[in-house]
Amino acid sequence: MSKTTSPEPTGNHQTELTDGSGNGEALGRPRQRATAQSMAAKQRDISVSEFFAKNRHLLGFDNPRKALLTTVKEAVDNALDACEEAGILPELWIHIERLAPERFKVGVQDNGPGILKKTIPLIFGKLLYGSKFHRLRMSRGQQGIGISAAGMYGLLTTGKPVKIMSKTGRNKEAHYYEIQIDTKRNQPEILNGKGEGVEIPPGARGQEAIAKHGIEWHDVDHGTRVTIELEAKYQRGRGSVDEYLEQTVIANPHVTVHYRDPDNNDRDFVRVAEQLPPEPKEIRPHPYGVELGRLVTMLKETKAPTLAQFLTHSFSRVSSKVARRVCDAAKLSVRSRPSRIGRHEADGLFRAIQETKIPAPATDCVVPIGEELILKGLHQMVPGEFFAAATRPPAVYRGNPFVIEVGLAYGGGPSNHKVSRDALDELLDQTDVRTLRQFILTTFQGMSSESADKIIEAAQLKPRTSPKNLDREETTRFHEALQRINLDDGQSMNVLRYANRVPLQFQAGACAITQSVMQTNWRSYGLSQSRGSLPSGPATVMVHIASVWVPFTSESKEAVAAYPEIAKELRLALQAVGRKLGMYLRRRVRARHEGERRNLFLRYLGEVATAVSQMNQAPRDELYERLLRVAKRKTAEADVKLDDRGRTLRPDEDDEDFGEHVLIVPTANGDGRTAAAPTAKTP
Amino acid sequence: MAKKTETSKRLSRDELNDRDRRTLRHLLALADDVVKAAETGRDPAIDIPSRTLSNVRYNKSKRFIEMGAAKNRRQLFNLNQAKSYMQTILVASGAEKLISQGKTTSLRGMYYLLKHTIEGAREETFSDQEESDSVIEDLEVAIEVLREELHLYAKNAGAMVGQITLIDSGDTIDCTRMGSGGYSIPSIVEPEVVQFKKCDAEFVLHVEKDTVWRRFNEDKFWRKHNCILTHGGGQPPRGVRRLLYRLHNELKLPVYCLLDNDPWGYYIYSVIKQGSINLAYESKRMAIPDARYLGLRSKDFVECELSDSVKISLNDTDRKRARQIMEYPWFAHKKPWQKEIKQLLDNGFKLEVEALISKDISYVTEEYTPQRLREGDWLD
Repeated sequence: MSKTTSPEPTGNHQTELTDGSGNGEALGRPRQRATAQSMAAKQRDISVSEFFAKNRHLLGFDNPRKALLTTVKEAVDNALDACEEAGILPELWIHIERLAPERFKVGVQDNGPGILKKTIPLIFGKLLYGSKFHRLRMSRGQQGIGISAAGMYGLLTTGKPVKIMSKTGRNKEAHYYEIQIDTKRNQPEILNGKGEGVEIPPGARGQEAIAKHGIEWHDVDHGTRVTIELEAKYQRGRGSVDEYLEQTVIANPHVTVHYRDPDNNDRDFVRVAEQLPPEPKEIRPHPYGVELGRLVTMLKETKAPTLAQFLTHSFSRVSSKVARRVCDAAKLSVRSRPSRIGRHEADGLFRAIQETKIPAPATDCVVPIGEELILKGLHQMVPGEFFAAATRPPAVYRGNPFVIEVGLAYGGGPSNHKVSRDALDELLDQTDVRTLRQFILTTFQGMSSESADKIIEAAQLKPRTSPKNLDREETTRFHEALQRINLDDGQSMNVLRYANRVPLQFQAGACAITQSVMQTNWRSYGLSQSRGSLPSGPATVMVHIASVWVPFTSESKEAVAAYPEIAKELRLALQAVGRKLGMYLRRRVRARHEGERRNLFLRYLGEVATAVSQMNQAPRDELYERLLRVAKRKTAEADVKLDDRGRTLRPDEDDEDFGEHVLIVPTANGDGRTAAAPTAKTP
Repeated sequence: MAKKTETSKRLSRDELNDRDRRTLRHLLALADDVVKAAETGRDPAIDIPSRTLSNVRYNKSKRFIEMGAAKNRRQLFNLNQAKSYMQTILVASGAEKLISQGKTTSLRGMYYLLKHTIEGAREETFSDQEESDSVIEDLEVAIEVLREELHLYAKNAGAMVGQITLIDSGDTIDCTRMGSGGYSIPSIVEPEVVQFKKCDAEFVLHVEKDTVWRRFNEDKFWRKHNCILTHGGGQPPRGVRRLLYRLHNELKLPVYCLLDNDPWGYYIYSVIKQGSINLAYESKRMAIPDARYLGLRSKDFVECELSDSVKISLNDTDRKRARQIMEYPWFAHKKPWQKEIKQLLDNGFKLEVEALISKDISYVTEEYTPQRLREGDWLD
């Protein structure tokens, strides 16, 4: 981050160019293009805001569709973090209003603690301002770019300021601000109330004022509402706001969300857990995780008088004994002044830290969702008949503690079966992809390209047809095909990724989570899978990494970097749920085979009866009935297994145990656990 | 399921011969057992002598392989055995039908007779002929009847020419006037079907395959040396083995074998002499413990001064097989055989009978075989 925003790289680059043209001159080019002076005149500071205004894709504003999602996402992340930090069960109101076909107003309100008057402009109008960057504590947002970047994007595309209303208590005044960001100076500008904002008194008087300002406000004692107007595009399906909210609810079962989409459909996600997750503790950095540059800065900034005190106070898990060992290894005195330590000595200190044995960081600062809540969350949102969850014990990468959790849902129909004819019309109308095949792949979850082809073929359409050009009859055929085609085999596993409870919706391929899911051998757990790809089958897997510092591959926070320690924990967690799934599937197959075999066995009796009666002219049907009676008695005896002392054993008892954290939903057609009852028992 | 139509009439009991009546009695006993079991609430089962290596032993005094006493019980009310039980009963009913109608059919015919889709299931009674063939063998050993007594036959394989006249199904066949093809040996050569009328031959020469047999026939070897000439198309089928047995025992003709010099050739000799594991229960009516191995021998490459180009190198399977054969109890104590097989392994190559053709087209008929017979140079 600091590197990209510093003006230095630009300068270096320019110098290199000059060298290049210098060579050109030596070859006899007469005119000098630029002088060092003329160039120096052009070189100047770039403000952070300016940089991101030009590189908006780094923050997730690559296209209008994603801009809408990112805006909602940043607002929701902030709201949830604020509520949880204040110990309030979060309740959110989200309204996306369509002002013009490509212009939207996004309003997100929470019931959080509210924000102090003086900090409101800084939070929403200044990039890289926040409480989260400078501390090591598990939270959703990290850098403090998000919401102000969304505001800046809104300003750039519509010219409208960000509107914030915040209230900190029942009888307190609410603050109302309209803010825009000065991109050159990275400073907030307050537009209303002569640059001071507006105070709205509590009670009935306040209601009038709110109405007068045209602010949407759900009456809560305390909370914050952000409203941003932006140019965007609303579209359902993959990577949509709807998907984001659904996934958020899975990983945050303690959250209630009231959502009104641009078509004025209301959806309420009501919390299934009444307990807030425990509050994550803030920790000091662990010495192993600190880089040399950061160490030098810390040495400069510290107020500690001695090196030993610097080490014990700035880092976690460094006792005075450990500090002494580090200093000895670096050949530095424990009493030397940190600010006097030069570059070279810092280098030695850095190496000494890596070589000294320091206890692993405390791991209680990471709060996992927990198996129980994962099961609840998944069951609430994902249809299925089998659910399993596993939370790994905390582990450490580069001095940062983290926890990996995995939840798995198996069974349940794919999303294409649920879509109604009207919804399909709407989806077809909204889409901006060019081909039907692409439409299927992007709109429905867990759809493989083979499945898409299967559907298109069944609908007698061409894969390259534009989805917008379908006539009524073709749409009907398409809808029927979507409902009818069984995609259990072609359907690929749906992977939901989370970092600190925030769903990651893009860059799946670059993410360590997806890679781990692909590298896991799901074939041994009863799913089919071709090498190096996602397994197929009606399965959804959610993977959550909780850490004080989640290593993302880029600023847009969409893919987790593959540190070996993280990859290992991912593998172990996936294997844990995989084993349980394997057990379940094997048991299901066994029950079905048993049933089939018994069924077939009865048919064999028929054949035997026929053959015997042909030989000795015994009455066939009578013989069959008799055999059947014997068979029933025999199989009933066989089913009641006796233990050593002659007591009866329950047939299920010798089965493998699933262990904890498994949820099995019996299905209507008896395909679930109920199928264990063999058909031959009750013919 | 295709409708099976009954077009043929059943014969009355008087029209059947004694053997058929005995077989029918055994088959009906099976059927009656099922009915009785159903009435008394027992589970029906068939005891089938096990046809595995562990259940055969070499009888030293009789000098052939015998089946042991081990039996496998096949139960109807056992999910793992139900299908094979059902198949066994089906084969029994098929055989009953053949016998009572006085007809015979091939193994494949039986397969088609019994094959149909099981009612209410998507499964076939038999998925391939191998399945029904093996069940037929099970039934043979279970009720101690022979395949021909079930009115089943295999396809003809093997041929015969020579100084013998026989009667096959009432037709007189003079085996000296069989042209180039010879008398095709049927799979059933029981005395009811084949009777020996007149025999001037002094011995039987059995060769491995058709091509060598043709050489001998063309050179009229059997006329010059006054013998019977047979081949079995590789591993001789039951009909050929049974015919050799009858020639040997009823007409007291010694049997000489001319086979390839490789483990397979040794094995064919072993089967003719001692019987096979799979058909151990038939040894007593097929094995010819006095059969002699005339060639080809491991020493022949040097002795006959063959050229290098006729060598075929042994592969790993050959070597493994040769070592197994070396340890067969009927070879283990015979020094000449140990020497023979060891030399094959030392040579590292095998020889086909046809290799002798490289010397001269008729070398095998005019020099090799007469010389060996004259000198009594064979393995026993």
